Amino acid sequence: MRSRGLGGFAAGSFVAVAVLWSFATTDVDFSRIMSAGPRIADFLGRMIPPDPTVMDEIIKGSAETLRIAILGTLGAVVLSVPFGVLASDTMAPPALYQPVRTLLAFIRAIPLILVAMLLVGAVGLGPLPGMIAIAFHATGMLAKFYAEAIDGVSRAPISALESAGAGSLARLRYAIWPQMAPVVVRDTIFRFELNLRESLILGIVGAGGIGFYIQTYVRSFQYEKAASVSLAVIALVIAIEAFNVALRRRFA
Amino acid sequence: MSAVAQIDDVSFAHPGSELRALQRLSFRVAAGETVAVLGPSGAGKTTLLTLLDGRLHGWRGLVSVLDAPLDPDQPQPRARRADTGFIFQEFALVERSTVLRNVINGRLGRMPPLRAFLGNSSPRDLKIARDALIDCGIADLAERRVDSLSGGQRQRVAIARCLAQEPLLILADEPVSNLDPARAAEILALLTGAARSRNATVLFSSHQPELACRFAERVVGMRDGRIVFDAPAANLTNDTTAELYRETAPFSRPSLRAVG
Ligand SMILES: Nc1ncnc2c1ncn2[C@@H]1O[C@H](COP(=O)(O)OP(=O)(O)OP(=O)(O)O)[C@@H](O)[C@H]1O
Ligand SMILES: [Mg+2]
Repeated sequence: MRSRGLGGFAAGSFVAVAVLWSFATTDVDFSRIMSAGPRIADFLGRMIPPDPTVMDEIIKGSAETLRIAILGTLGAVVLSVPFGVLASDTMAPPALYQPVRTLLAFIRAIPLILVAMLLVGAVGLGPLPGMIAIAFHATGMLAKFYAEAIDGVSRAPISALESAGAGSLARLRYAIWPQMAPVVVRDTIFRFELNLRESLILGIVGAGGIGFYIQTYVRSFQYEKAASVSLAVIALVIAIEAFNVALRRRFA
Repeated sequence: MSAVAQIDDVSFAHPGSELRALQRLSFRVAAGETVAVLGPSGAGKTTLLTLLDGRLHGWRGLVSVLDAPLDPDQPQPRARRADTGFIFQEFALVERSTVLRNVINGRLGRMPPLRAFLGNSSPRDLKIARDALIDCGIADLAERRVDSLSGGQRQRVAIARCLAQEPLLILADEPVSNLDPARAAEILALLTGAARSRNATVLFSSHQPELACRFAERVVGMRDGRIVFDAPAANLTNDTTAELYRETAPFSRPSLRAVG
């Protein structure tokens, strides 16, 4: 009990020091927040009405974002199948699945935007670094989900098919896959939705997609155009959500 | 009559378990017999049936099924696995597949591997599956998904899958433990009747002595991995079965102990 009390005190002191240090060394001027109201109103006011002349850019940018998300997700699926198998404790020995799981956790911990920036440096501007970044980043989560889908399969129907004399491929198709399929489809759709949302910002670091136009218009004070593109982004997210709901219902 | 299953002095402990689930067990089933195995939970009934199905490894002793010895260190060849059918205590059906698909799954061991995987069942496979559905009284459920069925209906699907496999020996692990008494008698009548008309031998486990005596010709009592009695159903008394399920020191009389 005593040591726990000491530990609690140490943790409390640490948090207090961290907060004080942040206040003391950062320029936190609260009066700026107070005077921000009119400026935000002015900003929003200039966004209305949205500028319809950027329709071409919206369509081009949305299409590119969609392509980045689709191909990025495809890449993530291709990578996640083998890594999912290697990270599953029913398919791989501990000596294999433990390091693979650690690797996946490490990949998940790297922010997408950082991966995208590094890739823009490596392969140049455009949608290609965006796709690779999405594929890499999403694999950290999707491979983990696939491994869980494999490990969640009930053994009994597999034993039943084994008892009937079915070979391993037939067991995979008729006992393992039917149990896994809804989970795999659901997780893949979920990840696609995340990929689409996350790929909207990739343009900010030059990795392609609609985010590029928001960035450009805000930087050049063309707020009406920025507003139109932002509205298109919101509409896109809602459309994807509706599409996913329909898909999930189909595969429930 | 020739032996469909013969076990000599077999002992087995599940991996990671100190306890021997089978202890120097000897046992024989003749062709065409219907045998019931009774015994309290943990007696080793499921273990015995799984052994005969060729799915245990590392046991000691001699086991021969359908005139061929089983190897305790090697998985059983695919062709032989199809000759013993197993009905699982918890059905072991693929919940999200249809009834017909589950029953066709019973035929996978009878098809060439590539055709089994590709799923183009022959007209003969389909006919056998459909006949099994009719025999089990569930032809109208063929296209229903298993996760929408009741316990009694699932039990029928599990039996139909086993019949579609065309096994020579049917091992049924508590095929009626999940059902109400009326349904239980119905299912046992169905199972033993279908087996008889196909000349298959049946070994089923149960916790219900009256049903066991009614549907089996011979009743075997198990306890702690040993056989404690083995008698024609007609000779079995209530006292014997009551003693089997008693909490402590059953069959302490020397005459009966000698049987185990
Ligand atoms: N997979 C397993 N791993 C370890 N021990 C097991 C395993 N399966 C069974 N056992 C043990 O083996 C013994 C026999 O079990 P078994 O399942 O054969 O009994 P049973 O007669 O079928 O019981 P029930 O009537 O409850 O189905 C029990 O002590 C059980 O705990
Ligand atoms: Mg059992």
